[in-house]
Amino acid sequence: MEFQFKKEESDLIARVREFIKENVTPEIVEETHQLGGVFGGIEARRFIKKLAVNGWLTPAWPKEYGGLDSSEMITYMIRDEMAYFELPLYFVGAYNAGPMILRDGSEEMKNEFLLPIARGEIEFALGYTEPQAGSDLAALNIRAEDKGDHFLVNGQKTFNTHTHVADYHWLAARTSFDGPKHKGISIMIVDLKSPGITIRPLITMAGWRTNEVYYDDVIVPKKNLMGEKNKGFYYLMGALDFERMFPPSAYKRLFEEIVDYAKKTFVNGQALSKDPLIRQRLAQMAIELEASRLLYYQLAYMLDREMIPNYQSSMEKMFATEVAQRICNTGMEVLGLYGQLKKGDQWAPLAGKVEFFYRSSIVETIYAGTSEIQRNIIAERGLGLPRG
Amino acid sequence: MDFGFSEEQQILRDSAHGFLGKECPSKFVREMASDEKGYTPELWKKMSELGWMGILFPEKYGGYEGNFLDLAVLLYEMGYVCLPGPYFSTIVHGAMTILEAGNEEQKSEILPRVANGEELLTLAWTETGASYTPQGISLKAELDNGDFVLNGMKLFVPDAHVADKIICVARTGEPSGDYEQGLSLFIVGRKDPGVSVDLHNTIAGDRQCAVNLDQVRVPRRNLLGKIEMGWSVLNAVLQKASVAKCAQMIGCGQRAMDLAVPYLKEREQFGRPVGSFQAVKHHCANMLTLLETSRFITFEAAWRISEGLSFEMEASMCKAWVSDSCRQLVALAHQVMGGIGFMEEHDLHLYFRQAKAGELVFGDGRFHRELVAQQMGL
Repeated sequence: MEFQFKKEESDLIARVREFIKENVTPEIVEETHQLGGVFGGIEARRFIKKLAVNGWLTPAWPKEYGGLDSSEMITYMIRDEMAYFELPLYFVGAYNAGPMILRDGSEEMKNEFLLPIARGEIEFALGYTEPQAGSDLAALNIRAEDKGDHFLVNGQKTFNTHTHVADYHWLAARTSFDGPKHKGISIMIVDLKSPGITIRPLITMAGWRTNEVYYDDVIVPKKNLMGEKNKGFYYLMGALDFERMFPPSAYKRLFEEIVDYAKKTFVNGQALSKDPLIRQRLAQMAIELEASRLLYYQLAYMLDREMIPNYQSSMEKMFATEVAQRICNTGMEVLGLYGQLKKGDQWAPLAGKVEFFYRSSIVETIYAGTSEIQRNIIAERGLGLPRG
Repeated sequence: MDFGFSEEQQILRDSAHGFLGKECPSKFVREMASDEKGYTPELWKKMSELGWMGILFPEKYGGYEGNFLDLAVLLYEMGYVCLPGPYFSTIVHGAMTILEAGNEEQKSEILPRVANGEELLTLAWTETGASYTPQGISLKAELDNGDFVLNGMKLFVPDAHVADKIICVARTGEPSGDYEQGLSLFIVGRKDPGVSVDLHNTIAGDRQCAVNLDQVRVPRRNLLGKIEMGWSVLNAVLQKASVAKCAQMIGCGQRAMDLAVPYLKEREQFGRPVGSFQAVKHHCANMLTLLETSRFITFEAAWRISEGLSFEMEASMCKAWVSDSCRQLVALAHQVMGGIGFMEEHDLHLYFRQAKAGELVFGDGRFHRELVAQQMGL
């Protein structure tokens, strides 16, 4: 048992931290907030390309594909460090599509896509959700007709965050209407510049956009099929165990700023941080952040030992995102009336950050598997309780 | 980061699990709840033969030279079976304090006897203020002819009715602005003149006592640690004992889950297992989350103690989180088990009671969150 990083791990992360501190700009942070944390914006791409030169975007990948042959532990450490500095959280290429290609993609696909992903040159957007297929993903209907040397795709996706700044769509489409729904799904890579694709914004209550994506006779070359036809659902489900995690430091900076605010703000001659109730709340949040951190690194520990974190990743995502919301609520409690002031208001503390994250955090327990779905998984796969 | 047990720890776990599963069925737990002593000398002897008393002691005191993680592993298994008896009070309250503060003479006199199973210890700390803070101590110790004379009352002293020696926290200096100054520790014999012990009647059936000290004379050689320097010892004991108690509590939580989950797979209503309903599943998912986070936060603190790293923050985070989590977990276990879990003859309430006792000793969630707040510089 050991609850600290190895020296070479600490040394590496110290270098990553130095790099980030030297290269992160307010513009990147602003862009990250405006995009809802997804990678693909201009500022982020510029930054990530520099970071990726060191192999730090995909360190666990083989060197031939732009990685460092390093560990999941290092990958998780770097992701959390980036999250702390309010860099993008969601890299579909590096952490979803890329690993799936590495595991089950053809040699041709690996050679075409992996290095550009590892270098931060291209980004993917997940193309899973549809109006009638959210938690029940197998209900997806977008049709990909097999035309021999290509697929012809027609249909619609919704809540596809990222698509407006990504290069490729990581599309889950229906290639068979016979038999059980989950056995007729394929994953394919679609160039988002293809003729026939229309992207329409859906504005969220957090101010950032997600998208509806319409496919009208879009041609997808056969070589862009990931793995085998009709096996997509299995690839997807298998991948979720590995990609479902939420970096616990994503809301840590916000928390630290709230703590700092409480120490420096005086009401009736006493600092807010001396109020017993506020002390209890802030201590509780610190404890929950530590618990999240341990759940997070347990995943990396398991992955490096080729253990499958089938319920553990659900537990981490569920817990860490609920902590994130509690941190936002704590911020609102501490700021009181001031909490409602938006960025730009001259009286807004923390540049309106609490107001923004309070709104933005609503989605954390919904996307990438709702907390309810995660609890079902924990109960069914973690405890063996029977499906309903 | 390594979340796995070492091979040795795994062996200790497995053998303790097997031994205690056999020696401490719930029938035994229930019997001991109304037994005068609260433990049997037979089981105590067997445990000492396994080396469990001396698990933390250096070899020269008859110990096993294990570390705090080994103790945590053992306590987990004890919590799992709800083991009654004075192990925690003797080893954690008592022996750990002697290891922290004792001089060579005291350690070589007392510890080997503890390791052999011949001596029971405890620590008398809290008073009527029911607080683990220095302000809670007003029991006086005054010098008289070279001896100290102790006067006052202690409450919630575990197993004082069977302990051979009771370590008493007393105030030797005048209480000034800084209550941390002026505290001293004394080794008192239970049978010494002036010592009287009465049993509390507690929810968990554990043997906590009111100990009254009336002109109790303590020779200087029984001063434990430096005069007036007791608080620094107590603070370390508080932190370590808190983590030790958490190790026991996660065993308790695990057992609650092991009672509830299999039942939910078996019990049917409306033509299907009760465990197939989503509300029930979600309670179970919450239970497992409380248990796993508790497990990791406890072993992180225990590891830091074992490695000689700073642990104040982690120990208080641990006690705060586990105190609340274990209580919540067992409450959820009751909820999902329905009527049957509410019955006296079902074992779940034993863990409900144990969880509460564990939550309260050495500071509850609120107490430790305040310590965390102080560590955070708030």
